[in-house]
Amino acid sequence: MIRKRQWTWVASVAGLAAAVSLMAVAFGVSANRSNAAPQHSHAVGTLRAVLDTVDFLDPQQAYTGQAWWAMWDVYETLITYRHVDGGAGYKLVPGLARSLPTVSANGLTYKFKLRKGLRYSDGSKVKASDFKYTIKRGFLATGQGVGFYTGIVGAEEFQKNLTGDIPGIKTNNARRTITIKLTKRRGDFLTILALIFAAPVPTGTPSAIQNGTIPSTGPYRIINYDPSRGFSMVRNTHFKPTKYIPRGNPNRVDVTFNGDANAAVQKVIDGQADYTNAAIPPDRIANARSRGQLKLRAAANTYYFWMNTTQAPFDKLQVRKAVNMAIDRQAMVTLVWGGLGRPTQNVLPPTYPSYKKLTLYSRNVSKATQMITAAGARGAHVTVWTRAVDDAVTAGQYYTSVLNDIGLNARLTILPRSTYYSTIGNENTHAQTGWARWLEDYPHPLDWFDVLLNGNRITAQDNNNYAWFNNKKINKEIEALKKEPNLTPAVNARWTKVEKEIMQQAPWAPWSNRVFPEFFTKQMGCIHMQALYGFDLSRVCRK
Amino acid sequence: MLAFTIRRIIGMFAVLFAVSVLVFIVFVLVPGGDPAERMAGKNPSQQNIVNIRKKWGFDRPIYVQYVRMMQKAGNGFLPGKHGEYDILRSFDTRTDVAAEIKKGIPATFSLCIGAGVIWLFFGILVGVLSAITAGRWSDRLITGFALVGVSMPVAWLAIVLRYFLAEKPNNPVFPDGGYVGLTTDPVQWANHLIMPWFVLSVIFIGFYGRVLRSNMLDAMNEDYVRTAKAKGLSPRRVLLKHVLRNSMIPIVSLFGLDFAAVLGGGAILTETVFELRGVGWYAAQSVGNLDLPPIMGVTLYGAFFIVVFSAIVDFIYVFLDPRIRPA
Amino acid sequence: MAEHAVDPSLDTPALLAAEEHEVAIVGRSPWYLAWRRLRRNYVALVAFAVFCLIVLACAFAPVYAHHVAHTGPNDTHVAETVKVGGKEKVVIGGGAVYDPKTNTFDTSKSIIVLGPTWWHAHGRFVLGADNLGRDAAVRMLYGGRNSLIIGIGSAFICSVIAVILALLAGYYGGWVDWVISRFFDLIWAFPVLLLAIALGSALSVNGFHHFGIHIEPGSLWIPVLVISYVLIPYIGRPVRGQVLSLRQKEFVEAAVGQGAGPIRIMFSDLLPNVASTILVFFTLIVATDILTEAGLSYLGAGVRLPDASWGNLIASGQQQIHTAPWLAVAPGIAIVLTVLSLNIFGDGLRDALDPRAKVRIEH
Repeated sequence: MIRKRQWTWVASVAGLAAAVSLMAVAFGVSANRSNAAPQHSHAVGTLRAVLDTVDFLDPQQAYTGQAWWAMWDVYETLITYRHVDGGAGYKLVPGLARSLPTVSANGLTYKFKLRKGLRYSDGSKVKASDFKYTIKRGFLATGQGVGFYTGIVGAEEFQKNLTGDIPGIKTNNARRTITIKLTKRRGDFLTILALIFAAPVPTGTPSAIQNGTIPSTGPYRIINYDPSRGFSMVRNTHFKPTKYIPRGNPNRVDVTFNGDANAAVQKVIDGQADYTNAAIPPDRIANARSRGQLKLRAAANTYYFWMNTTQAPFDKLQVRKAVNMAIDRQAMVTLVWGGLGRPTQNVLPPTYPSYKKLTLYSRNVSKATQMITAAGARGAHVTVWTRAVDDAVTAGQYYTSVLNDIGLNARLTILPRSTYYSTIGNENTHAQTGWARWLEDYPHPLDWFDVLLNGNRITAQDNNNYAWFNNKKINKEIEALKKEPNLTPAVNARWTKVEKEIMQQAPWAPWSNRVFPEFFTKQMGCIHMQALYGFDLSRVCRK
Repeated sequence: MLAFTIRRIIGMFAVLFAVSVLVFIVFVLVPGGDPAERMAGKNPSQQNIVNIRKKWGFDRPIYVQYVRMMQKAGNGFLPGKHGEYDILRSFDTRTDVAAEIKKGIPATFSLCIGAGVIWLFFGILVGVLSAITAGRWSDRLITGFALVGVSMPVAWLAIVLRYFLAEKPNNPVFPDGGYVGLTTDPVQWANHLIMPWFVLSVIFIGFYGRVLRSNMLDAMNEDYVRTAKAKGLSPRRVLLKHVLRNSMIPIVSLFGLDFAAVLGGGAILTETVFELRGVGWYAAQSVGNLDLPPIMGVTLYGAFFIVVFSAIVDFIYVFLDPRIRPA
Repeated sequence: MAEHAVDPSLDTPALLAAEEHEVAIVGRSPWYLAWRRLRRNYVALVAFAVFCLIVLACAFAPVYAHHVAHTGPNDTHVAETVKVGGKEKVVIGGGAVYDPKTNTFDTSKSIIVLGPTWWHAHGRFVLGADNLGRDAAVRMLYGGRNSLIIGIGSAFICSVIAVILALLAGYYGGWVDWVISRFFDLIWAFPVLLLAIALGSALSVNGFHHFGIHIEPGSLWIPVLVISYVLIPYIGRPVRGQVLSLRQKEFVEAAVGQGAGPIRIMFSDLLPNVASTILVFFTLIVATDILTEAGLSYLGAGVRLPDASWGNLIASGQQQIHTAPWLAVAPGIAIVLTVLSLNIFGDGLRDALDPRAKVRIEH
């Protein structure tokens, strides 16, 4: 009977398929079992880190905290920061220079002398003229940090022509001296020189982006950079440790990129990585803490919503004040950071000596709604901008719902991470309000007020003053404070006053100072946090 | 035959050209995406932005920029040394697009070839079994499973499997995403790919099974089958030699196109969820970032596969079915 | 003998009996016969009923939100408390706690999002809350509404455009056919999802304000138009093939001979004969569109947050999969049920309209 033969044939084929599938599963189980066995580690041999992303590993280009975290131990600057914990980490100390510079009385001339016998990781000598080449390279390479160095005599000229000399920098290779002349006094120039943008590179380095291939001056050098996957750091054999720059404990650092916070945290929990800087998902904080070591780092940062004072409805002071009174800052900290942050109404974070906690706006949603109606802004169309990063999307959605609660008609637009800042910083966008945050580049109030709230520095494109805040009186005070060489108590008192006056105008609705989680396996020890650069990889060890 | 071939090849280039123009236009229409501003970064000077524009050619008219971009794309995919700005470079990372695509090829090829073999085999199996037992409960059962497979959103299935089999349990059955090279560790290579293969195949198996089933049922009612049986050929021989062979023709064309699509970076969701950093993953990243050069590179790469495989399928059709040969 | 198990034919016993007794045979249209066949396919009917139920439930999302859950789909309730079965529970609780005296954080508690209350809270938070304190059940229904609008809307638009193009191509032939076929090729050559993502992303920033058309970003028109554009060849090619073969048939030649104009021929002679093909494809296209929309929204290029769609609910829920897996699993199950019921009904429809299965998907 045909049917019987059909059935045996059907059954045998189906059975074969089932057997193959079962074998695949069994194979998978066994292969995974052997892979899950923990690896044995030698003394700090290799530090395996998972970072969310890095923009570049070229000193004249990189402008993210993650890139600087790695490059601080790779590309040394003339002056640098100490490898110590706490506020002492803000103290500037000699890096490649022999000592802190001598500054002329009028504050316009800075003189450095390089240490003797400095070499790059490829063995060549570090020359004083390399520093001039480095500044030039920044302009030639259209690096992101060039705005800091246009105050050097001749720099603006050079930027226009891209040939010729920068007369403001004079170097002498025989005597290893570098003399820098400024056009105007700047109280924060030393901290600007400590930025990795000014890390010397060999003369003749191409201006095209060199990710990790430039010879280094620090305890490590970079190899195997793959923008989608990661990079590694190995020892620089030509480096000599100094009083302020240690040799570094790990022999090697392997960094992998993973933008998924859950996956990054999971890798550390599973022991496949030693450290991650990922934002611990708020619902896994306790879980992470029990399965590893959760360290918290208070970096100087402020997360805020800017309101464009030149665009309706935010051109009305009452509207901006109403917004400040409507958001529940503590709820946002819980929502976005899982509690790992502190609510704030200040521009500056509490790390600054000039910081005085402001409580100008107490939460009152009904009053805020009244103020919106009174200002005639009820039902006004508002586009809220934010960027496509988890915490910004969460904060943006919450902020949009609050704006809708008080009577505005708000809608959220999410932009990619890479185009966000240039879009909201372009005056043609006419962006009304949105998410932003600032992490300090260097520890000085100018890095905040001058960059973010000085009306004189508003530009039509790539503007950083997203509120387009232009108050003549406050502008004048900021310019005056710029000339002050030191942050004396009197100067700090003036900064406190400026901050209060700014927040009374409410161009922003600041909401939190975040505390950054740094997550380690239980086996890691000697975990130190540097005030500016975060987790100090050079001092880590294994328990 | 020659004329047909030539027309086909011209058609291929025409399509590739049109695809590139389409992509270029879509991304030129996006306001706020001025690449010079975004490259200048957070704290630029105006002169910096001007310099970037000059270096990258953004100050040239649109059609000049298009031609330049096509030149760069060509340079990138062909061997030889080129100047820094003569190849496609991402606006964000300034890396070489062609090199990045090449890096993603092992993962994508491993995923797609493996899944392709699986879905073709099981698809045919499912189709044949349900056609033979048409109408009976086994047919309904198999068809039921196939329909469920076809009804699942790919991303969701991938997420659910990954969570329940690789993340949640204390002794996970499968590894938690990632790609291990075949030459690095063959065992782990397969281990990491089992779940992705399954996910990618499931959506196709049901579809192919149903198509094959209906084609076979049609064929089984045709006169030539009745004749063959009347001649005394065994049912199995009839099945394999006549029915199956003729029913396979549409399957061949379907497979050719689907395989080309995933090979060219179409398995975006599977690659994203399982962290296989292949071409599809790279495509999703660049589109999410509105980064035109990689988008152009990946699109041309994918369109190339589809166009080539479509032509191959057409040629195979011509050989398989003499009736279709062009006059 | 491998025969069709069920082969509904015209010769029912009733008809044969009628013949014998010389009762007039009433002619039935093919549509009526198809309907009769469909009526007997209980599985397909149940599937269709399930689909209609889902559509209805999602259409009534505003009713549910207003009267049952007392909240909107985008309203956050972060610090509020809900009475669940007598106990007061906070919607989003826990989290790290700052101690000002020691300037440290107590990280022993993660945030806990309210889980499903299953009606113990009088209709609020039936499926619990999401990570922003919004009612997950309300978002599921609104999400379904958006997904179904996009799925059905884009299928409709796609079908209309594809059929018109196919009719034109099949009827006129020659260079019209060549242009339209190359147009299909162009769309087909572009990796479908990539094109959809590219268009969706590009249009989402500022919308579309050209040629007199104004579409705001965040409007549902964007995913609808993108998806319908991308799937035109899916319907266009098979229908074109059918029209091409029909074009050769005698009744069309006759109509041409009678002096009928092209529009009359296309719509009176050709269209009705491909109608069953189109109808079957329509259900399949709706199913495909729903799945495509889910994929697009998952990647962030479809329905934009904070508006919900089943696809972006899966993406949002994925972040909490370790502590609240139902947030990611539930929308997927909804999609599977909807698409499966559509596929089963579509199969039944095809069996009813064309029992000899002349209609297949070909390229």
